[in-house]
Amino acid sequence: MAEAAIVYPAGAVDYNEAVVKKFVIASIFWAVVAFLVGVYIATELAWPQFNLGLSFLNFGRLRPVHTSAGIFAFGGSALLGTSFYVVQRTCRTRLFGGEALANFVFWGYQFFIVMAALSYVMGYSKSQEYAEPAWHIDIWLTIVWVVYAVIFIGTLMKRQEPHIYVANWFYLAFILTIAVLHIGNNIVLPISVFSAQGYSVAAGVQNAMIQWWYGHNAVGFFLTAGFLGMMYYFIPKAANRPVYSYRLSVVHFWSLIFLYIWAGPHHLHWTALPDWTQTLGMAFSVMLWMPSWGGMINGLMTLSGAWDKLRTDPGLRFSVTAVGFYGMSTFEGPVMSIRDVNALAHYTDWVIGHVHSGTLGWVAFISFGALYYLVPVLWKRNGLYSTRLASWHYWIATLGIVFYITSMWVAGIMQGLMWRAYDQFGFLQYSFAESVVAVHPYYVIRLIGGLMFLTGALIMVYNMIQTVRSSTTELSVAPPFAVAVAGE
Amino acid sequence: MDIEPSDLIVGLLMSAFGLIGLVLAAGAWDNEMYLFGLSLFGFACVFVLGLVRRHFDKREAARAAVRVRGGGHG
Repeated sequence: MAEAAIVYPAGAVDYNEAVVKKFVIASIFWAVVAFLVGVYIATELAWPQFNLGLSFLNFGRLRPVHTSAGIFAFGGSALLGTSFYVVQRTCRTRLFGGEALANFVFWGYQFFIVMAALSYVMGYSKSQEYAEPAWHIDIWLTIVWVVYAVIFIGTLMKRQEPHIYVANWFYLAFILTIAVLHIGNNIVLPISVFSAQGYSVAAGVQNAMIQWWYGHNAVGFFLTAGFLGMMYYFIPKAANRPVYSYRLSVVHFWSLIFLYIWAGPHHLHWTALPDWTQTLGMAFSVMLWMPSWGGMINGLMTLSGAWDKLRTDPGLRFSVTAVGFYGMSTFEGPVMSIRDVNALAHYTDWVIGHVHSGTLGWVAFISFGALYYLVPVLWKRNGLYSTRLASWHYWIATLGIVFYITSMWVAGIMQGLMWRAYDQFGFLQYSFAESVVAVHPYYVIRLIGGLMFLTGALIMVYNMIQTVRSSTTELSVAPPFAVAVAGE
Repeated sequence: MDIEPSDLIVGLLMSAFGLIGLVLAAGAWDNEMYLFGLSLFGFACVFVLGLVRRHFDKREAARAAVRVRGGGHG
């Protein structure tokens, strides 16, 4: 190690980039795992024989592996890594707490992911969507998350810049709210401290209400607020333009976080949940449309005067398309939360299509944009190995999403219509099995879409490895020092 | 070279977690808890060894830097 021998010029800050690099690698790795498992379970849905009669390959066990790998492993690693990168750069200071604390967050988070995945395939689950890990794994995540919050807030407190850049507000909302949601939804009484089994302290409809207060805000604060933080840093950086409206960013931040927290009951329309609660959830969901589009407008308008960069910068193209998908899915969401629309959409594959337009189109694309920006910067390369390969990734993935979401729209609306169809005697016109047969072709199209998305990600992996290793991307003039310039 | 406070705190914390992992594995009622306990112990051991390695790496680097500044050849 030669770090101690480096003499830093005045004004340069020795940022902790090692932990960001680790999170970038983890994010890319988990992306491939998440997409691969997704493709496999899509195959199982089209042809159930693919579970091969093995319990650990069962859809019920692999589905939470797919969602946790996608949301918490891929998305979470991207969020934690970029938040550490952004908070250091915008606060012009090194991460609070030293190298050991940052490494604890990285390795502790990866340990959580691996333990959760192993417990799912072994058949252990709390049976609460996106909150499946057993109680002791939840406690471990709480410890890691508190340390993460300490590092992030500590870095903000020792900042060398007078104000806190808006991206950090979004990251902070993500960190604090996820802590509250995770603890609130996972209070469990274990049957023994030596057993993975336990019972939720809330029962019945209260349990459902708390679960969807958590579930929808996992979408709102993990998959939205955190990634908006990413958008507010990486789009202006890649476009080399200031944020279109700082005032709009602040207004949409506060309105978004105020409204999101009330929207959960729309997941429980037409259930035992009190009617007024469902109406409340629906009303707040519809209101959410405005702050969501405030973010979309701000993201897109930041490109004003720099739209030409979309032709040459595939990373930026990913980010901007992500904002487009964000706008689309945050329009679709409020529409689906309207009770009468929900009567048709609920429990159908339309929901799956909606979720994937958000996760593939928004979350994955905004992450790809950030990764394409970060890898050459972190590894001190002169650019990507191949912008052509990145373009291939972009088009294959975009087409894959289109296949995925259109097939699920058709399948979902068809399911909804078949389930509610009555004949002239008042009997249900179709059995459930008939609706399963009817959607089979769309499940195959969805599988093709997923395969395309996975193929795009594998192209990205090759491109990233070559970016780091190839001699063609080496900087022709060595940088004068091994750290980034402050304020960059 | 002094031990960094964060290294010390995290090291002690991880040692405690490792012991908790062993206790959980020893008394486990089910496979999941057994696997978790053993994995936590293994993770804690590897992490603490990493802290120790990094501490000595840094000390070596600091010595090398002193030698470079002093103009010596080692």
